[in-house]
Amino acid sequence: MPHQCTHCGEIYPDASEELLKGCSCGAKFFYYIKQEKVDELHKIREQIIELPKEDKIQIEKDIREITGMDEEPDKPVILDLESIRTLEPGKFEIDIVNLFKKDRPLIYNLEKGKYIIDLSSISPKKKD
Amino acid sequence: MKILRNFTKRMFNLFFKRKKDISLGFYGPPNAGKTSLANRICKDWTGEEIGKVSSVPHETRSVQFKEEVEIKYKEKKLKFKLIDTPGIATKIDYEDFMKLKMKKKQAQKRAKEATQGIVESIKWLDDVNAVVIVLDSTKNPYSQVNITIVGNLVARDIPVLIVGNKIDLKKSNVKKIEASFPDCEVVGISAKNGKNMDEFYESVFKLAKKT
Repeated sequence: MPHQCTHCGEIYPDASEELLKGCSCGAKFFYYIKQEKVDELHKIREQIIELPKEDKIQIEKDIREITGMDEEPDKPVILDLESIRTLEPGKFEIDIVNLFKKDRPLIYNLEKGKYIIDLSSISPKKKD
Repeated sequence: MKILRNFTKRMFNLFFKRKKDISLGFYGPPNAGKTSLANRICKDWTGEEIGKVSSVPHETRSVQFKEEVEIKYKEKKLKFKLIDTPGIATKIDYEDFMKLKMKKKQAQKRAKEATQGIVESIKWLDDVNAVVIVLDSTKNPYSQVNITIVGNLVARDIPVLIVGNKIDLKKSNVKKIEASFPDCEVVGISAKNGKNMDEFYESVFKLAKKT
């Protein structure tokens, strides 16, 4: 008959030495579990639960509420050489760190391998 | 001859430049209340508004000004040019506008204009003497947008005042803003109902001194 250590949760098969000597964690209390229940648990562990997307979103929302964490912080946008990337009409990613750089022109990425460089965006340095 | 001319110009600037209006820029993420605050100031001192306010983000999509706004505080007077800028963001998605009951074409147009607005906002930094960064005090202040704005202003030696807006809301947390930007002065206000505006004007005068 398998037993589970009540302290660390380790499960020992029937007639294990530890049941007499004590668990490797030092505890000596064991909880008896039927063999078929142990088999069932193993089966469940191996199963991958597939959830619909809405459920996953809802679960994440619930957990964030429970833990009191803020909404997921926005991922930082760090683009390649461009400052603005067009993903599709009306969807843009803006690398503001790039945009703040005065010494380089504004580069738009239209699609993979297509760029527009706005040379007029480099303002000439003012003379003192 | 050239040296003499430069010298006179410099001396002239030294004595008369201060009299020029101080260009005060309002920067920050979308929907923080930049226009609401600029409107509040304009209404307090000129009786007119600077622009339209909306709950849909990116309402201000081009830079708006108000010249010659004279603010009085404890018998002192200062003239400002207020520059209200479009909100700075790292991502613009028309689908976000569609969630707020906007049609696809209209939402895509708004997204394009908002992107243009961000470029324009940043260009305008060359023309401001001081900046008021307006943040929504109900939101996490530690974001890429906020850190980048503050970092760039400090690097350019532009005096900064951070305003934590929306203190009338329950979720507001100005202390969190103070903790995120310990080197900047932070004032909590509500532009909507005018809460704590006295302290804000006091800080603006302190800010103007640094220009």
